[in-house]
Amino acid sequence: MIRQSPSFFHRGPSPLARLTFFTLAAIALMIADHRFHALEAMRLSLSVVVHPLQAIARMPSEGFAKVGDYFRNQQQLLEENRELKARVLENAAAAQETRLFRAEQQQLLQMSAARGKYAEGGVIAEVLYNARNPFTRKIVVDKGLTQNVQAGMPVIDGSGVVGQVTSVGTFASEVTLVTEKDQSVPVMVVRNGLRGVAVGAGKDGLIEVPFMPVSADIEAGDMLVTSGIDATYPPGLLVAKVTVVDKKAAYVFAKIAARPAAGVDNYRYVMLLPLPPAGAPRPETRSAEDLRKGAKERPRRRDAPR
Amino acid sequence: MRPADLTPVARDVMKLPASAGLMFFSLLLGYMVSALPWGGRWLLTRPDVLLIVLIFWTVHEPRSIGQGIAFVMGLLMDVGDSMLLGQHAFAYVVATFGAQVLRVRILSFSIPEQTLHVLGLTMAASAVTLLLNLLLGADFPGYAYFISPLVTALLWGPVNWLLYSQAVRRRRESTP
Repeated sequence: MIRQSPSFFHRGPSPLARLTFFTLAAIALMIADHRFHALEAMRLSLSVVVHPLQAIARMPSEGFAKVGDYFRNQQQLLEENRELKARVLENAAAAQETRLFRAEQQQLLQMSAARGKYAEGGVIAEVLYNARNPFTRKIVVDKGLTQNVQAGMPVIDGSGVVGQVTSVGTFASEVTLVTEKDQSVPVMVVRNGLRGVAVGAGKDGLIEVPFMPVSADIEAGDMLVTSGIDATYPPGLLVAKVTVVDKKAAYVFAKIAARPAAGVDNYRYVMLLPLPPAGAPRPETRSAEDLRKGAKERPRRRDAPR
Repeated sequence: MRPADLTPVARDVMKLPASAGLMFFSLLLGYMVSALPWGGRWLLTRPDVLLIVLIFWTVHEPRSIGQGIAFVMGLLMDVGDSMLLGQHAFAYVVATFGAQVLRVRILSFSIPEQTLHVLGLTMAASAVTLLLNLLLGADFPGYAYFISPLVTALLWGPVNWLLYSQAVRRRRESTP
């Protein structure tokens, strides 16, 4: 099948040899990136080349959008609109905090001691584009290392939690959305303070709340806010609204589906909140890998004879 | 040498190769089109313009464009798409290898039959990406996923018309 050229037309290694070499190189890269996250520096330096190209590629559509805006609206209105949007974002954190305060008043819970300050030094960023493949749910925003963006910063929009910064470039950063598969946010139910973990389902616009007992007091329409116990997300940010609760006695856990509160697929500006100051050291650090293993083990235990 | 080798391929090999600038700018343009903000429902139909340009140059200028270039362009795509580094690189290298192996055969057909061959290559590249992502734990994105390689392969005709007519005209003007 492979035509070997005669040796007097010497042109380097054969295609098959090249294929083997590059395949091994690609696999090595993937392992290094996936297992050890060793290639952030390489990604960073490549992104310096890539982002200008992408900025140029975006120009036509942005230009069209701008021309359209000009004919549709008056310039003044646009300015005002933009300003208001920025203000909405600035107020979003405070508004969502208020929601929690109200719930707290009703429940007479004393949680304010644990509240960290937030929305101070938050960075407003514009969404550049969605990551363009059907396998990941990420967005790229226009603030990076130059604006002191750090990996792990929570990202909100006017109505709720959007996700978390997972990778920072020089001028842009990647935000993993809360709907990404296995992206988890510690939450609690506003109505009664029940804690749980909201986990992205890997499908657009769907969040699951796994490992909730069938007897748990949670029903469709409940609001889930961040509980703040992870020391990443400040408490009280709206995450999702429960849409379906499926409690059957046959299940070990209730099946709970929720819809993200933030417009996870349609926003233009988001706000990156600063990481809370490091508090008391954690009792034990468990990596995401361990947690996943733990999650897998638990249903298996059910099969064991009792 | 077999007579089949002398007809379309060997004739072109004797002529002036396409300019490096044309190759560079077509690859750059392919990358830019891929970098356009595709989103939502159109994401699945996004044609991989860079891949089709790579296959085109591998078939027509095998001495200049090959698996090395494909690997590097794939890495750039991975950074732009914020995927695991090496996925696009792997897929592109596989497709380019196929193009290298099949180029003599591809060039002996007319454009519609060539498109079928190219469809095989784009499908292989998509299948590689799909398999890698499934291995990494992603969910199957649905059969609509295979619309993209189909659209990509259908671009073979336009790309040929655009690039080959340019290259051919250039060669004919500069060689007696």
